[in-house]
Amino acid sequence: MDSNKKYWKGLEELNKTPEFVEKNKHEFAEPIPIEEVLESGGLLGKTPRRDFLKALGFGVGAVTLAACEKVPVHKSIPYLIKPEEVTPGVANYYSSSYDGHAILVKTREGRPIKVEGNPNDLLSNGGLSAQAQASVLDLYDVSRVKNPIQDGADSDWDHIDAFIKNELTAIKAAGKKIRIVSSTINSPSTLAVIADFVAQYPTAKHINYDAVSYTGIIQANQNSFGKAVVPHYNFDKADVIVSFGADFLGTWISPTEFIGQYVKNRNNKSLQSKKMSRHIQFETGMSNTGSNADVRIPILLSEEGIALVNLYNAISGTTLAGSKKLDNAAAENAITLAGKELLAAKGKALVVAGSNDVAVQTLVNAINSLLGSYGTTIDLDNASNQYAGNDAEFVEFVSDMDKGDVGAVFFLGANPAYDYHSGDAIKAALKKVRLRVSFSDYTDETASLCNIIAPNHYYLESWGDANAIEGYYTVVQPTINPVYNTRQAEQSLLVWSDNAVKDYYTYVRNNWDKNLLAKGGLSGQKGWETLLQTGFVKAAAKPAGSYTFSHELTAVAQTILDHSNELAAANGDKTKVQLQIFQTIALRDGSRANNPWLQELPDPVSKVTWGNFAAMSPRYAKSLGLEQGDIITITANNYSIDLPVLIQPGQPAGTIAVAVGYGRTKAGLVGDKVGENAYPFHTFRNGTFQTTAVATIKATGEQSELAQTQTHHSYEGRNSIIRETTFTEYKKNPYAASGHFDEHKTYSLWDEYERPTYNWVMAIDLNACTGCGACVVACSAENNVPVVGKDEVRRRREMHWIRIDRYYSFNEKGSLITKESEINQLSDGDLDNVSVVYQPMLCQHCDHAPCETVCPVLATVHSSEGLNHMAYNRCIGTRYCANNCPYKVRRFNWFNYWNDSRFDNYLNNEHTQLVLNPDVVTRFRGVMEKCSMCIQRIQAGKLKAKMEKRSVKDGDIKVACQQTCPANAIVFGNVNDPNSEVAKALKSERTYYVLEELNVQPGIGYQVKVRNRTELEA
Amino acid sequence: MRNISLILKQFSRTVLLIAGFAILGLSAHAQGDATKGEALFKANCTTCHKIESQLVGPALGPLVTAETDDKWLTKWIQNNQALIAAKDERALKIYNQFNQQGMTVFGSFTDGDVADILAYIRADWKTQQAKATAAPVGGAAAADAGPSDLVIWGLIGVIIVAFIVILVLNKVIATLERLMLKSKGLLPEEDLEEKAPVDRMAVVRKLAKNKKFVFFVILCGTVACGSWTWVTLWNTNVHSGYQPVQPIHFPHDLHAGVMKIDCQYCHSGAYKSKNASIPSLNVCMNCHKVVKQESPEIQKIYAALGYDPKTQKYDSTKAKPMQWVRVHNLPDFAYFNHSQHVKVAGIKCQQCHGPVQTMKEIYQYSPLTMKWCIQCHKRTEVNYKGNAYYDNMIAVHDRIKRGEKVTAASLGGIECGKCHY
Repeated sequence: MDSNKKYWKGLEELNKTPEFVEKNKHEFAEPIPIEEVLESGGLLGKTPRRDFLKALGFGVGAVTLAACEKVPVHKSIPYLIKPEEVTPGVANYYSSSYDGHAILVKTREGRPIKVEGNPNDLLSNGGLSAQAQASVLDLYDVSRVKNPIQDGADSDWDHIDAFIKNELTAIKAAGKKIRIVSSTINSPSTLAVIADFVAQYPTAKHINYDAVSYTGIIQANQNSFGKAVVPHYNFDKADVIVSFGADFLGTWISPTEFIGQYVKNRNNKSLQSKKMSRHIQFETGMSNTGSNADVRIPILLSEEGIALVNLYNAISGTTLAGSKKLDNAAAENAITLAGKELLAAKGKALVVAGSNDVAVQTLVNAINSLLGSYGTTIDLDNASNQYAGNDAEFVEFVSDMDKGDVGAVFFLGANPAYDYHSGDAIKAALKKVRLRVSFSDYTDETASLCNIIAPNHYYLESWGDANAIEGYYTVVQPTINPVYNTRQAEQSLLVWSDNAVKDYYTYVRNNWDKNLLAKGGLSGQKGWETLLQTGFVKAAAKPAGSYTFSHELTAVAQTILDHSNELAAANGDKTKVQLQIFQTIALRDGSRANNPWLQELPDPVSKVTWGNFAAMSPRYAKSLGLEQGDIITITANNYSIDLPVLIQPGQPAGTIAVAVGYGRTKAGLVGDKVGENAYPFHTFRNGTFQTTAVATIKATGEQSELAQTQTHHSYEGRNSIIRETTFTEYKKNPYAASGHFDEHKTYSLWDEYERPTYNWVMAIDLNACTGCGACVVACSAENNVPVVGKDEVRRRREMHWIRIDRYYSFNEKGSLITKESEINQLSDGDLDNVSVVYQPMLCQHCDHAPCETVCPVLATVHSSEGLNHMAYNRCIGTRYCANNCPYKVRRFNWFNYWNDSRFDNYLNNEHTQLVLNPDVVTRFRGVMEKCSMCIQRIQAGKLKAKMEKRSVKDGDIKVACQQTCPANAIVFGNVNDPNSEVAKALKSERTYYVLEELNVQPGIGYQVKVRNRTELEA
Repeated sequence: MRNISLILKQFSRTVLLIAGFAILGLSAHAQGDATKGEALFKANCTTCHKIESQLVGPALGPLVTAETDDKWLTKWIQNNQALIAAKDERALKIYNQFNQQGMTVFGSFTDGDVADILAYIRADWKTQQAKATAAPVGGAAAADAGPSDLVIWGLIGVIIVAFIVILVLNKVIATLERLMLKSKGLLPEEDLEEKAPVDRMAVVRKLAKNKKFVFFVILCGTVACGSWTWVTLWNTNVHSGYQPVQPIHFPHDLHAGVMKIDCQYCHSGAYKSKNASIPSLNVCMNCHKVVKQESPEIQKIYAALGYDPKTQKYDSTKAKPMQWVRVHNLPDFAYFNHSQHVKVAGIKCQQCHGPVQTMKEIYQYSPLTMKWCIQCHKRTEVNYKGNAYYDNMIAVHDRIKRGEKVTAASLGGIECGKCHY
């Protein structure tokens, strides 16, 4: 039985739009203008033959002359005095930390070239997010501030120190307020430095301000339990997870950590023991988390509050005043069922909500308390320090500035002129502040309003520490000398506050010696050295207490319902919509907008790169007469922006979703003018910044093509790519949907290859993959994959060796869709409710590779280790291989991306090129490239074994995508070794091969996606 | 009288002789025994001192010669710490000059021992100075001994000029002879001379009409041009024999040949990394801090490091990188790893780099072409013995059983992706 479910990548494919059909007919995405040349002018011209000969003659002559260049003399410049620990050609790893995650920084000859997860990291066990992977590129960013700046002109540190100290003394004497505004700081040493600064200047105060804030949770916990913290969530302990718009796998609090926890109950190991968690998501815009959910119920923003109240009612058995039934019958039904399931899983249940509203979070606390989540799935005693922003404090600070009470302000990792909902208010208020200092290493929106920019070191140049989760302390150590004339912000604060400790390294050392080393049972110089190797210390966790919610909820429910009513006012009005503000996985809050790797990382759900969009449902767009790419004006809070429409199946009608993080004006070469800024749509309500609003929309009649990768590289409608089953089905028959039972005789035209020792293969668990995209960035960093930019992506020329394919399918309603024609009979309403499967797609290293047989110059050949080799310098660029590849994983170099002025925003400068991996060559214009299974790592692993005179052990060699995957969805290894992880994974009943029927014998086995979906349908 | 005067003379001579001997003997005693001193000096002092130049401690030759107060010197040598402790002015000056590094205390030296050493130092310094003044003369003589380039070119010039003169003279003689014959009216040869070239052209024309001959010539021409093109194209960008002039004249023949220093002493990366690596200058300094300080080539090392041999201090502000000219230049698209070949395969450096131990200046010995790589991979047997890595390789076992050679190629060593990635 083959899967009869129809999967499709985009609406063009589903609806078979004429453009899509036309485009797919062609060999190349862009038609080659041969006919044009032949018809107009060209050969019909007067003397085509003579012109041809002239051109040929000139061409040959020019090439000959160009080739007559003398062989360049290369210089070899060794170290003058070689540091003892450096061996040229051998990488050194330093432990450090990023965002509180312990990491390893790979350096070559003193320069960091890659960030890798520390396998012992307690948060994500070696997994890393796309941001962390991309962070190494920013070190070499030419847009960074290169010198301290005073009033827009380069200055020097002595001058700035003298100036600031004078100013501070004057401001202190005048009794004016001094404010240090930062994004959440959880570094114990930095906090201590700030405390010392405040002691020196008693009018100073530290304000945590997060662009995307979690004050709602903190405040709700303060109100409910007297603990003003973001709790530590344990998704791994939850059998039933119900989320109301919390994108916990993508952007919510600590996604890399949560992916690991979440997948623990859904991966192969868990399925083998017949155990799988259940995840129900109620949300508006399609988030990465929602797309992974077992059941995703699309609800309007205005319904979220009512749904939560009703869930509380269902669980508590009471009825809160003002509750009413949802108009959406399906959602109402789902709430009742979800309530039952949660109650059944008491103690192993978890409810989370993405809202930053205190009332919503208080109600969620009440629900979790009823479910006995505190002490099990929610830990309030070992809290998370990842977000501590206090929205009300910041608003008060803005009004203080406006009143003229603030004498000095220091911005540390905060950029409110961009990400505060009223940037204009900040601009106006800042003018009234005498001393404005930014520690930003970019001349960003806020820094450009400051009279002093004291550029901070990048984290790869700094000493420091972090404390993401209570009791988990990680150390940050520098891996390179400062690239520019920057100084660590903490060092500046020490100098300006005349601290007894003059140097921040000593300060960090003292702080660890005194307070932190002991927590990990370490001490003294030896302890410090151990710390620098391990990267962290962990204090014994406090026992997680059980908390009971015992407050009156009437007022809370009233606040929630009132807001729902406000939002619901948009319903029925054609010009008004419910507007949701969200973060994309790639850019998050936009502070890394100048990173081309992140800009080019397709959003998991929308597959859009380089810019934001207004997502709306197909039905809704149709009713407004809008098509994908139509630009609409969105107005709310007296602010309006023009954005192209993205048709997003799965989003309820009457809503649009817009991402923040774009529309930077002073991010740098890469990030400037990409998309539009959606932060001004935030509102300050009930003491917190909120992400929902009623907006008006108006079509402008203009068009802008989105740089979307979703329908590129199509499989021409072949099914059997995605295989999916339900957990019930799987329990009955583990082989369900994997197609293992329809074995049939296969014939082959080709000889079998011998693979006597190694057969490198991969297993990818579709049930573990959440589509986060970290592997895509890791691959770019490891393999020098170029960034091509928005225009080139529109031309389908993105270069990623690994892509995450996102397939939509309809939620089954009793019967399967058996024929393609039936899809056309579906109503638009069904498009509001789709499910999503992600599939990482990379070169399959087929044993009978179709690409190999068509290459006229044998540039791509098979190896005795089961790999499909690609010799770039042999390739002449016919692109036959790409055309013949059924998986569409081959990429063609249309330009010399590292030496072409059209790509100035990426590698086209010597400085940024320092990030290149010296073990992998950069490819020249006109050659094909593709995934090599990180052959440089395979070769290095084998060599290491040879030098140590031992066999290659399973797990010695890890490919870049596997290494960074927070879900451990990718397993790589030698299948000839029956005890290897990969051999075991491929023996799973769920294993199938994509396009198995072609008998190209791919080397990558996928494991069937399983959805725990039964009860709701019942 | 005469006898008396003789006796007196003899007596006075004797007295003078005795006195002279006595004085000589005395002075000899005061100066100490230089040979004894030499032995003592070499056993105890050379770790830190040199006579002619500064090492860890000051250059002793000029210092000891200038210092006349032997008593003070003896005290200093026997126990310098005591002098410093006693705040002796001169002692403190030296102590501070050398970064307050105290000299080793030689309490076991008797006054005589010290005197011997001082005698040796003074004598040796004297001979060295004498040599130094003589050296320029000897140096000039040495330079004259070998024919300079100028002389050779001069001689060649003279020969060429002489040759031209002879030619001109011959021509003149011939003209004169012809004039003489002409004046005698004897010139029948002229007709013959004019006929000869006509005949020659006729032969050429005749040959040009001979199709077989023309074909033959064209064939030869084509073959010659073809083979020249073939060879040239094959050798394009092959740089074997490339021997650029390096910023420091580093004689591999001396270091690797005469001194027999192991290659990996300097190229330490070859064992553990893909790069054999050009040594950093601190490796040179391991020896050249002491050896051959005066050589102008070694001075270049000091200049690059910002090192002052007199004060023995490094000044990093004066340091500038040493820019060697790269000789072996493998293209970026080919991955080569030294450790794989040197450590795992146990290949001698000379196999690819040639007889480095005889090279005055390094040159590229091998062509470094892909053909050359592959040839070796096909021919060389894998050094699998004693390496457990190969134990699990079924292919290796099968081949050994069949008695076949196990080459790098047979283990996949000539597959594209093994070097090109």
